[in-house]
Amino acid sequence: MGMTTRIECIFFSEFHPTLGPKITYQVPEEYISRELFDTVQVYIITKPELQNKLITVTAMGKKLIGCPVCIEHKKYSRNALLFNLGLVCDAQTNTCALEPIVKKLSGYLTTLELESGFISNEESKQKLLPILSTLLEELNATGACTLPIDESNTIHLKLIQLRKDPPIVQEYDVPVFTQCKDHFIKSQWDLTTQQILPYIDGFRHIQKISAEADVELNLVRIAVQNLLYYGVVTLVSIFQYSNVYCTTPKVQSLIDDKSVQDECLNYVTKQGQKRASLRDVFQLYCGLSPGTTVRDLCSRYSQQLQRVDERRLIQFGLMKSLIRRLQKYPVKVIRDERSRLPRLYTGCHSYDEICCKTGISYQELDERLENDPNIVVCWK
Amino acid sequence: MMFNTLARLPDDRKSMYSQSQNSVYKTGDKTSPISVILVTSGSRGNKLLFRYPFQRLAECPSSLTAKQRSPYALNTTGDGLEDQDGDSREQSPLTDEQLVAGFSDIILATILATKSDICGKKFELKIDNVRFVGHPTLLQHPPIIQANADPSVISCMHNLSRRIAIALQHEERRCQYLTREAKLMLAIQDEITTMTEMDGSPQSPFRQILPKCKLARDLKEAYDSLCTTGVVRLHINNWLEVSFCLPHKIHRIGGNYIPPEALERSLKAIRPYHALLLLESEKALLGQLPLDCSPAMVRLIKTCSAVKNLQQLAQDADLALLQIFQIAAHLVYWGKAIIIYPLCENNVYMLSPHANICLYSSLAEQFSQQFPGHDLPSMLAKFSLPVSLAEFRNPLEAPAQEAQLIQMVVWMLQRRLLIQLHTYVCLLVPPSEDEPGLRDEDPPLAARVGGRSLSTPSALSFGSPTSSDDMTLTSPSMDNSSAELLPGGDSPLNKRMTETLLASLSEHERQVILNIPAAQNPEDLRMFARLLHYFRGHHHLEEIMYNENMRRSQLKTLFDKFRSVLVVTSHEDPIISIFQSPME
Repeated sequence: MGMTTRIECIFFSEFHPTLGPKITYQVPEEYISRELFDTVQVYIITKPELQNKLITVTAMGKKLIGCPVCIEHKKYSRNALLFNLGLVCDAQTNTCALEPIVKKLSGYLTTLELESGFISNEESKQKLLPILSTLLEELNATGACTLPIDESNTIHLKLIQLRKDPPIVQEYDVPVFTQCKDHFIKSQWDLTTQQILPYIDGFRHIQKISAEADVELNLVRIAVQNLLYYGVVTLVSIFQYSNVYCTTPKVQSLIDDKSVQDECLNYVTKQGQKRASLRDVFQLYCGLSPGTTVRDLCSRYSQQLQRVDERRLIQFGLMKSLIRRLQKYPVKVIRDERSRLPRLYTGCHSYDEICCKTGISYQELDERLENDPNIVVCWK
Repeated sequence: MMFNTLARLPDDRKSMYSQSQNSVYKTGDKTSPISVILVTSGSRGNKLLFRYPFQRLAECPSSLTAKQRSPYALNTTGDGLEDQDGDSREQSPLTDEQLVAGFSDIILATILATKSDICGKKFELKIDNVRFVGHPTLLQHPPIIQANADPSVISCMHNLSRRIAIALQHEERRCQYLTREAKLMLAIQDEITTMTEMDGSPQSPFRQILPKCKLARDLKEAYDSLCTTGVVRLHINNWLEVSFCLPHKIHRIGGNYIPPEALERSLKAIRPYHALLLLESEKALLGQLPLDCSPAMVRLIKTCSAVKNLQQLAQDADLALLQIFQIAAHLVYWGKAIIIYPLCENNVYMLSPHANICLYSSLAEQFSQQFPGHDLPSMLAKFSLPVSLAEFRNPLEAPAQEAQLIQMVVWMLQRRLLIQLHTYVCLLVPPSEDEPGLRDEDPPLAARVGGRSLSTPSALSFGSPTSSDDMTLTSPSMDNSSAELLPGGDSPLNKRMTETLLASLSEHERQVILNIPAAQNPEDLRMFARLLHYFRGHHHLEEIMYNENMRRSQLKTLFDKFRSVLVVTSHEDPIISIFQSPME
């Protein structure tokens, strides 16, 4: 769905007092055939119940998006002015991003009409044609358009692409910038985001950022979720030398895809060192497997790590899904009747989460659980 | 006469980013319809025949005055707005039902009864947040509309519309089924309207239609099924069967569905060495099949087993491999089976990252019932580290224990709790010592020999059923390059072949390989050269074994001998990993 939405045609349709529904202006000319208009006109100049609603109708390989407007007043013949400024795209196009534009345009035209009779006045109505032309050209070219209508009115429009809902950000998640941090223009963002920005280093987790930046935890979560939405950051897990990772099938992309290769080697090479070799880096990733901690990796592959920063290696691997983290989940399987129901040891909470919530360290938790015969630990 | 049935569904609302603590924006289920509507247009004008769920009628004007309305109350359509979430907000977004209720029967009839020129094709209309999808037919057809933003869901819904349309068309031609049902619906509607006019109490005519009209009940069933299981099975006029499944409901990873295109791609990549694992018992599955189903399907279900690969299945069930692939794909699409690698003691399994290991899950309960004395979390903990089935074998245990273990593994595979790991190998030669940094690293072998066809025929290579490929599987290896090399000795022919095979390598790579001690042994070198094209990280050990007819130990020894130029890793098979995700 990364295709830009291309507008094929913009039209202005109205209800003529004698001729009925017709297309008064369309750019490019003759785009909408008579046949097509006949089929869909009931959705363009509509019954009262459908007015002021965003209507998208698909027919004959085309999608028409419009918002029918009705202005009632005695001065109009038939006591009402009915019109609709709409866009036409190919039927396969995803037109969600165009909807706010259509709605905005219908609002603008309504205001113009109410303020100065822009549409009902034949002379000023003719200005619509060059307006439609400019709209079509600029929206397709840059996705934005600024149009002065007359001395006092200007239209501002922008195509905004919708994105997927971002996931919930947990306090033990670690945000990391997807692009170089220097490209980030602080002033464009809200104050909370600006305040936590210096603490996003790809290693601090949310709870830590909140403590060090002195911002309330939930605000940090929301700010980071916002950054996630725009693809500015992605989430990885907390780094520790005791962590265990394993490869995913995507690790092969390091071999197959030159661009991933280059990006990786540049990212993981130690500062000031010659660029690491592909073989070393690939061996390191493949050396990660269940049962092997990062510490183990470092001792086994010390030669390969001469030019590689292992923390950035792990970070990159997680960001590109070349590797994934194996988390530990304690489950209390045997308990006697009198003891309470396990709250955290249910298999639903990882070590990361438990340590974050209770404040105890990994080693401590390990010691407690290892010696408890009633608890099993699952890794996944 | 022209009919059009449509259903409405909530459209993908824009992601509204709210600042509250519960910042997860709850959207309606995007794969379920909001309602099903049947509309007709003819000489009598446009009429709404049936809709389900029934609209909550606005209160009659007479009874409105009885309600005390605060001057500050929000002006809403119909009855008072119930706060769905319980938290107080200034303005709750309209629920889906209210959106649909906002459209009166009359206006629906007008907008949905389309002109004849768009009959026979997909019809799609979106009004604010509601989307209508249907298939208008000249002889009426109930399309089901879904307002889901995802085009694949919309086209699936349209598919269902079309199927019902075709069935209705058929029945109409045969015995005017549709006309009769329509007459019935209109008659009941008229009846109710007159009654309402007389005693002023609002009633939904559709509620009355339901018990009297089979078509209405079918539409209701379609709607209900789509909302719950995603599997629809209707018998139009108690005669013609219409069956349909919404893969989005059946196949899901976590909270998201697997797009049908991804599913189809995976199905095309199935190989003969894969196996089919049924997700329900043989008996249950056979009971679900329609009476007139193909005997091949029945044979397949009766013969298939978790330890048998598809090629063996073809032989045992006496069916062509192509048929096996097709039936298997069909069963997978309908959520009745998954593709695995056949069970054997060398298989290595690990917990799936999506596995539900919660102590209180329904899975844990089912497991204890199925295998008394065992609990699921303990069993799952055993698979925390990759473990092969052979490691469970305990010579002191009774054979019955082993059989039970297999059953448990199958149980866990069926519920996507386990993934299987395979070994993959990649050729990566240590870079040259001289000219450091001046010479670009050789692109790895993978990049150079990319695009070569695999030696095992996959489902993809069969193409469409009308393809004239005649795939016989007498010899598993059909690749040209792994020619049968003559055994024994250093014959010039063998030497030449080895050289040819190594020709795709760069000079530096060749040198390094030839300098390996193991390369001094011509047999080993020959084997290495022959298998070279597998060493790009896309073919796992078992595939090489199958294609080249080699034993596991042979391969492992070879890898070990040439380990200075090979990098080995293990992970799940990406081709079938799509099937290893849990069902909701």
